[in-house]
Amino acid sequence: MELIPKLLNDKNIILTGCNRGIGEKTLEQLAKNGANVWACTRKISQEDITKYDTLENSFHIKIWPITLDLSNSESINEAIKEIRIFKIPIDGLINNAGITYNALFQMSSISMIKEVFEINLFSQILFTQFVLKLMLRNNSGSIVNISSTAGIDANLGRSIYGASKAAMICITKAIAREVGEKGIRINSIAPGITQTDMIKSMSNEIIEETRQLTQLKRLGEPIDIANVCVFLLSELSSYLTGQVIRVDGGLKI
Amino acid sequence: MLKNKNIIITGCLSGIGHATMENFSKNGANLWACFQKESPDVYKSIDNLTSKYNIWIEPLFFDFLDPDKIKEAVLKIRHKKQIINGLVNIAGITKDSIFHMIKMDDIKETFEINFNSQILFTQYISKLMLRQNYGSIIFTSSITAFDGNMGQLSYGASKSALISAVKTLSIELSPKGIRVNAVAPGVIDTEMTRKAKEEQINNIINKTSLKRIGLPEEVANIYMFLCSELSSYITGQIIRIDGGLN
Amino acid sequence: MTNIEKYREAFISTFNLKEIDPSELEYQSINEWDSVGHMGLMAELEDSFDIFLETDDIIDFSSFKKGIDIMKKYDVNIMV
Repeated sequence: MELIPKLLNDKNIILTGCNRGIGEKTLEQLAKNGANVWACTRKISQEDITKYDTLENSFHIKIWPITLDLSNSESINEAIKEIRIFKIPIDGLINNAGITYNALFQMSSISMIKEVFEINLFSQILFTQFVLKLMLRNNSGSIVNISSTAGIDANLGRSIYGASKAAMICITKAIAREVGEKGIRINSIAPGITQTDMIKSMSNEIIEETRQLTQLKRLGEPIDIANVCVFLLSELSSYLTGQVIRVDGGLKI
Repeated sequence: MLKNKNIIITGCLSGIGHATMENFSKNGANLWACFQKESPDVYKSIDNLTSKYNIWIEPLFFDFLDPDKIKEAVLKIRHKKQIINGLVNIAGITKDSIFHMIKMDDIKETFEINFNSQILFTQYISKLMLRQNYGSIIFTSSITAFDGNMGQLSYGASKSALISAVKTLSIELSPKGIRVNAVAPGVIDTEMTRKAKEEQINNIINKTSLKRIGLPEEVANIYMFLCSELSSYITGQIIRIDGGLN
Repeated sequence: MTNIEKYREAFISTFNLKEIDPSELEYQSINEWDSVGHMGLMAELEDSFDIFLETDDIIDFSSFKKGIDIMKKYDVNIMV
């Protein structure tokens, strides 16, 4: 079997939303590439622990489970405290956790709007502020925000979700300017339609229609996004910052 | 990362082209390396790479201003009867001049090399890729295509033309399994850049987030990413590699 | 295989013609011979006769009969 080069050997990465979908696959790919990971999830189940143990043993890396509930600022503070105790450099952060919301503008309730923005934007801003403070001490690091093509294309029924993702894109570009000189890069990935629980509610008909709207004629898989995360965290992207990379198979809705 | 992939690279005499040739060889790719002119240095660097990395490199010498020579090169590539996994179009020129001192002939030549012949070459190569239902094609655009730059009207416009071409080619070829993307480098430490006014270059570098010039290897790494399986769901995109300049 | 047999076979295999005689076929006269099918036919002819068709000839190749004239340019003589 040929040796696959480890793009993140000995790097320590924080990943949110690890237990399913894009996060789950990204955790695997980080481990495969030699990284240790602070795996942040809202709850830590026995199933999660078993998964982490398997990855640790298979790839000789460490996975440190962290409880992080983005709807609760106390939880964010606690999580950062836990990570700080390690006193090791933070080489990367992937802001992946988030919720979806699909509703026509006139039917978007204010409570849902607040919830979407709380979890997809405000909490992530807070968490990133803390992590960035720690990264700045080492004058190095790479941050990846998982946005969405909905944040750029503003699709039907995605005004609120899209707005929360678009805000993250703007923040990505602004932060890039502020911390670039200190050696920290920050980029966004805009996935198109990826096969995760988030699209479970789509009917087979709509899934087929969407498939046809991509140039590569297939929906995205979590690994498609995970691979680009690895690339953006690695030295391969060393001159790349402040960018939004669409990973959408050429989606045109 | 590119083990056993066979890739065509044009513009191997340039700083970025040369770095790409080295980078790809190191990562296990076999290459058709296209140069404008033959020279003993070229053969020396090829021998160096093939013996060090245990890959093959077929040198091809042709001028992008000569459509017959372009066709000959394609026939040589076809003759090897190997899968073509990727095409990295790097060859290109700039003839800097402020707007009111630009000669029409210079505009035409810039477009001929930077756009027309790239498209012709890609037309031939993608035809071969169509039979494989697989391939990754990359064009080299520039931040000038998006942002403009003093003295670079023809260069910027020709690089902008490539951006539109990428989007259309992606629509036509991606359904057949061929991904098409472009890379838009910012200020990179190459001979082309060193020819420009130092003050102008430094001005741009100061506007980057990383506050430094980019290295040819850093651009080569993006080409590698786009030729590899890591980018298999990315198509029709222009990736700016500019140290955060937007 | 003679040239005419190879030539007919290219049409038959590209367009999946079972009973149809290709000799009267024209571009876009059947569903299979659309622009996508056309590129497939060109590839088949190039491989079969080991030639490399110019873009202008690909554009002019509008029918089975016209194709025979075009093939002559590449030193391929097809005797019907």
